[in-house]
Amino acid sequence: MSENRTMQLPPLLEAKFTEIIARYPVKRSALIPMMLYAQDQFGFLSDELLGEIAGRLDLNITQVAETLEYYSMLRRKPAGRYHVQVCTNISCMLRGGKEIYDHVEKRLGIGHKQVSPNGTFSLEEVECMGACTGAPAMQVNYDFYENLDPAKVDAILEQLQQGSRPKPVPVISGALHERHPAEVPVISKRFGIPDSRTIGVYLQHEGYQALEKALKQMTPDQIIDEVKKSNLRGRGGAGFPAGMKWSFVPKDINKPKYVLANGDESEPGTSKDRPLMEMDPHQLIEGMVIAGRAIGSHQGYVYIRGEYRYVIDLVEAAIAEAYAKGYLGKNILGSGFDFDLAAHTGAGAYECGEESALMESLEGKRGYPRIKPPFPAVVGLYGCPTIINNIETLSTVPAIIRQGGEWYAGLGTPRNGGTRLYSISGHVNRPGIYELPLGFPLRRLIEDVAGGVRGGKKLKAVIPGGSSCPMLSADDSVAKIGSMLGSGGTVVIDEDTCMVDVARRIMHFYAHESCGWCIPCREGTTWLRKLLDRFHAGGGTPEDIPMIDELAKNILGRTFCPLGDAAAMPTISIVNKWRHEFEEHLQGKCAYKPAEMISGAR
Amino acid sequence: MAEQKQVVFTIDGQQVATSPGTLVIEAAKKQGIEVPSFCYHPGLSLQAACRMCLVEVEKMPKLQTACTLVATDGMVVKTDTPTVHKARKDMIEFLLSNHPLDCPVCDKGGECELQDMTFRYGLDKSRFAEEKLHHPEEKWSPLVYYDAPRCILCFRCVRVCDEGMDVKALGVGSRGINSVILPNRPGELACEECGACIDICPVGALTSGTYRYHTRPWEMTYVPSPCAHCSNGCKTTLGVRNNEILRANNRDRSGVNGEFLCGKGRFGFDFTAHAERIRQPLIRRNGTLQPATWEEALEEIARRLKQVRDAHGPASLGVIGSNHTTNEENYLLNRFARVTLGTNNLDHHRTADYAGLAALLGPQAKGSLATMADVYNADAVLLIANDVTQQNPLVAWQIRTAVRHRNARLYVLNGRPSKIHRKAKLLAEVPKGAERDALRWLATEQGQLDAKTIESLVHLKAALEAEKDVVVLFGAEINGAALRDLLSLAARFGGKTKFMALGDYANSRGAADMGLLPDRLPGYAPLSDAVERARFGKLWGGEVPAAPGLTARAMMEAAVAGKLKALYVVGANPVKTFGLTAPGRIAGLDLLVVHDLFLTETAERADVVLPAASSYEKDGTLTNTAGEVQLTHRSVDPQGPRSDFDLIRILSHQLGILGLGSAIRHRTPEAAFDEIRQHVAGYALSHAQLLGGGAEVSAAACKSVDPSHDVPPGAVFSSHDSLFTSGTMGRYCSRLNSTNEAKDTPWSSSPSTQSWWYR
Ligand SMILES: Cc1cc2nc3c(=O)[nH]c(=O)nc-3n(C[C@H](O)[C@H](O)[C@H](O)COP(=O)(O)O)c2cc1C
Ligand code: SF4
Ligand code: SF4
Ligand code: SF4
Ligand code: FES
Repeated sequence: MSENRTMQLPPLLEAKFTEIIARYPVKRSALIPMMLYAQDQFGFLSDELLGEIAGRLDLNITQVAETLEYYSMLRRKPAGRYHVQVCTNISCMLRGGKEIYDHVEKRLGIGHKQVSPNGTFSLEEVECMGACTGAPAMQVNYDFYENLDPAKVDAILEQLQQGSRPKPVPVISGALHERHPAEVPVISKRFGIPDSRTIGVYLQHEGYQALEKALKQMTPDQIIDEVKKSNLRGRGGAGFPAGMKWSFVPKDINKPKYVLANGDESEPGTSKDRPLMEMDPHQLIEGMVIAGRAIGSHQGYVYIRGEYRYVIDLVEAAIAEAYAKGYLGKNILGSGFDFDLAAHTGAGAYECGEESALMESLEGKRGYPRIKPPFPAVVGLYGCPTIINNIETLSTVPAIIRQGGEWYAGLGTPRNGGTRLYSISGHVNRPGIYELPLGFPLRRLIEDVAGGVRGGKKLKAVIPGGSSCPMLSADDSVAKIGSMLGSGGTVVIDEDTCMVDVARRIMHFYAHESCGWCIPCREGTTWLRKLLDRFHAGGGTPEDIPMIDELAKNILGRTFCPLGDAAAMPTISIVNKWRHEFEEHLQGKCAYKPAEMISGAR
Repeated sequence: MAEQKQVVFTIDGQQVATSPGTLVIEAAKKQGIEVPSFCYHPGLSLQAACRMCLVEVEKMPKLQTACTLVATDGMVVKTDTPTVHKARKDMIEFLLSNHPLDCPVCDKGGECELQDMTFRYGLDKSRFAEEKLHHPEEKWSPLVYYDAPRCILCFRCVRVCDEGMDVKALGVGSRGINSVILPNRPGELACEECGACIDICPVGALTSGTYRYHTRPWEMTYVPSPCAHCSNGCKTTLGVRNNEILRANNRDRSGVNGEFLCGKGRFGFDFTAHAERIRQPLIRRNGTLQPATWEEALEEIARRLKQVRDAHGPASLGVIGSNHTTNEENYLLNRFARVTLGTNNLDHHRTADYAGLAALLGPQAKGSLATMADVYNADAVLLIANDVTQQNPLVAWQIRTAVRHRNARLYVLNGRPSKIHRKAKLLAEVPKGAERDALRWLATEQGQLDAKTIESLVHLKAALEAEKDVVVLFGAEINGAALRDLLSLAARFGGKTKFMALGDYANSRGAADMGLLPDRLPGYAPLSDAVERARFGKLWGGEVPAAPGLTARAMMEAAVAGKLKALYVVGANPVKTFGLTAPGRIAGLDLLVVHDLFLTETAERADVVLPAASSYEKDGTLTNTAGEVQLTHRSVDPQGPRSDFDLIRILSHQLGILGLGSAIRHRTPEAAFDEIRQHVAGYALSHAQLLGGGAEVSAAACKSVDPSHDVPPGAVFSSHDSLFTSGTMGRYCSRLNSTNEAKDTPWSSSPSTQSWWYR
C-alpha cells in the first residue's frame, strides 16, 4: 500500500517526502513533517493531500485526522499567502504585543484566524514564539520580525503587499551583545563569531575535539562518569542530573536506543535554545553523538518546534556538513562507532515539549504524555530505551568532555554545576540572552546584567524561570535569589502592570495548550481562563478571588503531567501575592491600566 | 505453573495478599473497596486520564492513580481520607463544569456512571458561572449518535474500537477543552457498527439510533437471551417495554461473550416487530395464500399429510428443520419425522460438519471440543477456512483478545481475505477454495498445489508442529475427508488439541446435535445402529425406520422431480438456500407446509403457512457453535405466531387422532429438555446452572468412525453471512440494513472500501 501514490506532487516536495520517510524506522513518524511541508507547499491540507499522505504511510483516515487536529499549525483551510502571527504572550504582552496585534488587525481589516478577501494576508494571535528577548515579535510565515512598533509593522506589511520579502532577523535579538563582565561563556562562546554555525568555523574553535576524545580515549562509562562529575542538570525545566539519567539506560538490551534533543522551546519567556541552534548547531550535534556513544545509541533526533522552521533548516544544513565530514554516519572518526541524526519538526504544541508527549509526537501521533513509569530511559521512543535532554543540556556536553567534569562543576554551585543561558525579557533595559554561572543572583541579573527595569520604573514581579514557575514579588526576589531557574526564562514585570491581566494571559496560554488528556487540567484551565476573563473585564465577585486560588489548587498535583502544575503555580502565587489588585478590580478599577478585555490567543 | 510469590500490601488498614503486578484499583475491588473511575476499563489499555481514582499512598508526596499503581510489598494505600474525598469531589466538579446536565432527557439517565459518581462522591451545588461549550449533536450513522458536550473524554470508545474491535474508527479531534471524539469520515462512521462504543460509554455521549429517546431504563424489564443470529451465541439482554423490544446490550458483561456483541446482537432485534411478520395461518385457496384459522390450518395439514402418506408411503414425505429453532423443537421435530411420519428424510441446511467432528473424536469429544473461553485462553490458535471477523464475530473477538492480552499465536489457513489476518503470526494464503487441498497436503504432503502455496504450507506446518495445546477452528469447507485430514494433521501437534467447527446460525449446532440429519439420531447416534433405533423408538412410542433418508438438497431435488410428495419445512428457506429458481409452486409436491416468521421464498410456495415465533419470543435452549447451551426466554408475546414447539406438539395430536403416531405429551420445553438431558449423548447438563443464566457445555459424541459416514459432497456449506447479513432473517433487520456499510459492504470488490477496511 505504500506504493499507493495517486497525486502528482511537485518534485521538491516529492523528494522531501522520500527523505522524511527514510529517516525513521517506523513510517508513521513521518506524518507530522509530511503534513507540515505539504501545507507549506499548498497553503493547507486538502482531503486529497491527506489521503495521499495516509496512503504513503499506511495509515487510516482517523489516524491522520486526529493527529492533524492536535497541532495548532496544521490547517485544513487555506490561510493567506502571508500568514501574520503576532505573539501576545507574557514577554510580548509586557512590551506591547497586544497593541501590535490590534494594529495589524486594524490595518489588514481582518481578525484572528481570518483571511483577507484577496487571500494575501491572514492573521493569527499566537502563543509565545520563542522571540522573548526580541519582544514584541511576530512571524510572517516562518520569518521572524522582532522589537516591533507600529511603524515597523506598517513597513513590513507594506513591503509584503508590494510582493517583496522584508528582511527577517538573522538570529534572535538579544543574543549578540557586548559581553557583560559577569558572563562566563562556555556554550555561548562562539556566538558572534562570523559563520559560527558552519563546520569550518566550528572546527577552528575546538569543534569536534571532544568527540574525538570521547570516541578514542574514553569508554562509554567514563563519558557518563564525566557528565556525572560535572553536576550538569537538565536545562529543560525539571533540572534532573544528566549523568544520572544516562546511567539509567539498560546496558544489555537487544533493542535500538535513541538520543533525543528537546528543542520544542515553548515555555513562555524562554528563548535560549534558539540561539544555540542558530549559531552553534555543531556543538549540539557533537553533544548528541557523544551522548549516543555513552548509552550505546546509533540514532538521534532533534525535535524542534515547528515555528522555528529556519532554525530547522540551519540544523539540517549542519547535520549534512557533519555527515560530509564524517562526524555523523558510519564509523565516525574511524572508531567503528555509527551514529545517525535527523531533525524533526513539531507543528505547534507546547505540550510536545514534555518528554513523553514529544516521543508520541515523534511517532506521528497526538502529543499526549505517557504513563510513567516506565521512564523513557527504559521504554521511550518506539518502546526502546531513550534519553531525552534539552538542547542546552546536550550543547554543554562537548565542553565537559573537553575540559573535564570537575572544571565544569566548579563554575556553578555545589548542587548545580556550570553555567547556563538566561533569557531575560519583559520590562528591562537590555533584554537578552546571557551566559552566567549557576547561582548567579537574580537581582544582579535584572539590575546589572539586564540594565535594570525599563524607564526607571519599580520592579513589581519576576517570573524566574519560564511562566510555569511561581511568581516572585519584588520582596521575595531579594530573599529567594538563587536556584529557581526552571527553563532559564526570566521575565521582569514593572509596577505599571496589572497582575490580574498577567494571570489572565498566562491562563489563556495553558488553556490553549492543555492537551485535553486529563480532567483537572483540561477543565480547570478553561474554567480559570473564563473566570479570569470575566474578572478582568469587571464582572468579578468577591467569591471569585478565593475560588481562583482554590480551583488552581484543585489542579495542582493531580494532573497527569506537569502542565497542570505549571498553570496552577503562577496563578496561586499571583492571586495570593497580589490579592489587593484583585480586590481593586472589584471596585471597578484597574490601577495600572484601563480594564480592557484582552482576548489572548484563542 | 510455578506458584508466584504473593505481594502483601495494606489498603485502608487491611492487609492484602495479591499476585505481583496487580493494580491497586483491582486489588481494592476484590477487597470490596470501590475506587471510583471513568477511564479505567478492565482489559483495555491504561489511561490515567480521568484522575477519579486518586488515592493516598504512604511515602508518596502526591496522590496516585489507583488505576496505574501496581501494588508492591509493604505499600500502604488509603482510599478513605479527607484528601482523597476532596480530590474526588473536585474532579466531579471539573467534569460537570462543561457538562450539559440534561439528565432528564438523556438516554443514559438512571444508568449513567457520571450521575452515580456525582451522587456518591460529588458536590451538591455547582460553582461554575461561565458559559458552557456548545456543540451540536452528530449523527454518525443510523445506529450511532454523538453528543460532544456530554462526553467526558474517557477514551473508552476509542480504545474498544481500536484494541477490542481492531476497527480503529474512532479518534480524538482537536485539543484541550475542545477535544471531541472523531469518527473516521467527516461527521460519519464507516465501521463494523458493532455498537461497542455505545455500550462502553459511561455517559450519554454515544447513544444508539435504535434506542435513543424511546424510554427510560427503569421502565423496561430485562430478559436475557442468546442472540438470534449467528452461531456464536452471545448473550444479549433485551430491554422490553409494553411488549416491545427496545434495546439489546450486554452491559453486565455476563455470558460467554463477556462485553462483546456485534451489530446483529445489538441492533438486529427489530425483525421481531417487522411489518411483514406473518401473524396468522395461511392456506392456499384458489392459487393464493389466504388467512385461515389455526383449526383450519392444522386440520388441513394433518389431513393432507395423512393423505400423501397413505397414497405414496412414508418415503414420500420429507422434513427440513431449522438453524434457528430451539433444541427442544428440533428434538420434537426429529421424533415427529421419524416416528410420527415414519421417514428418515430429515435434514437441515448444514453449515459445519459437526457430525463428522463428533464421529472422528468419538468418546474423546468431551474435552476435545473448544469452548469460547478456550479460544481466549489458547496459546496457539489455528484457523482454517473462515472469515471469523464477518462470520463468527465473537470467535474473532476471542482471538483478538487472546492475542492482545495473552500474546497468543494465531495461525491461519484461508482462501479468502479476513480482517483477522492482521493478527496472524503466520498466514498461509491459499487460492480461493483450496483449503481442502491444502489440508490434504499438510496431512499427507500430496496433491496438486502451486509452489508458492506449498512454500507457505511448509512454514505453517513447521510452526504448528512446534506448538502444543492448539485450538483448531474450522469453517464449513472442512468437512468429510478434509476433516479427517485435519485430525490427522492435528495428531502431530503437542499437548492437548481442541476443536471448534464454525457454523452459521444461532442453533446450527443444536440442529445437528438434536439429530436433524438423515442418518443420525439425537446425539449423533448412528441410524445404522439397531440398538439406538430401538432406544429412541421406545422413547417416542413407535418405530424408527432403518434406511437412511435424503439430504436436504436431495429432498429438494426429489421434490422438483416429483419423487417427494410432501415437504414439511420448519424455520428454513430451502428454496433460496438450494437455489430453486423456478417461479410458482414446486412442481412435484402435493403438499408444502412451512413454519416461518415471514413469507420467504419457500413460504410463498407453500400450501399451508404457520406463523412462528422467533427465539426472542419463546422459551427453550440453544447450543452455540462451541456446544455451549443457553436458555432463551420469551421476552415479548409475538401476538399471533406460536412457537414451533407448540405447533409440532399440537400437530402430533391431530395426527394421532388420524392414527398417525402418538401425541407428544411434553407440554413445556423444560419437559422436553429433561428428556434430552436423559437421552441425548453429551446433554446431561445442569438445568439449575442454565436457569442461573450461565452456559453449559454439551459434548455430543458418537461411536462410529466409519468413513462411509462422511457427509456427501455439497451437504455442508456456509452462507458466508457478513456482519450485516443473517440469512433470510437478516433481510428484516431494518436498522442494520439502513447503514451504509450494509449497502456497500467492505468485502465487496469496491476498492474504496477495501482500502480502509483492511488497512
Ligand atoms: C508541559 C511541559 C513542557 C515542556 N517543554 C519543554 C521544552 O520545550 N524544552 C525542554 O527541553 N523541556 C521541556 N520540558 C521538560 C521535558 O519534559 C524534559 O524534562 C526535558 O526535555 C529533559 O531534558 P533536560 O533533563 O535536559 O532538561 C517540558 C515539560 C513539560 C511538563
Ligand atoms: S460501532 Fe463498533 S466499529 Fe463502529 S465505531 Fe463503534 S466500536 Fe468502532
Ligand atoms: S464518547 Fe463516551 S466513551 Fe467515548 S470518550 Fe466520550 S464519554 Fe468516553
Ligand atoms: S457474534 Fe453472533 S451471536 Fe454474537 S451478537 Fe453477533 S451475531 Fe449475535
Ligand atoms: S480511572 Fe484512574 S485516572 Fe481514570
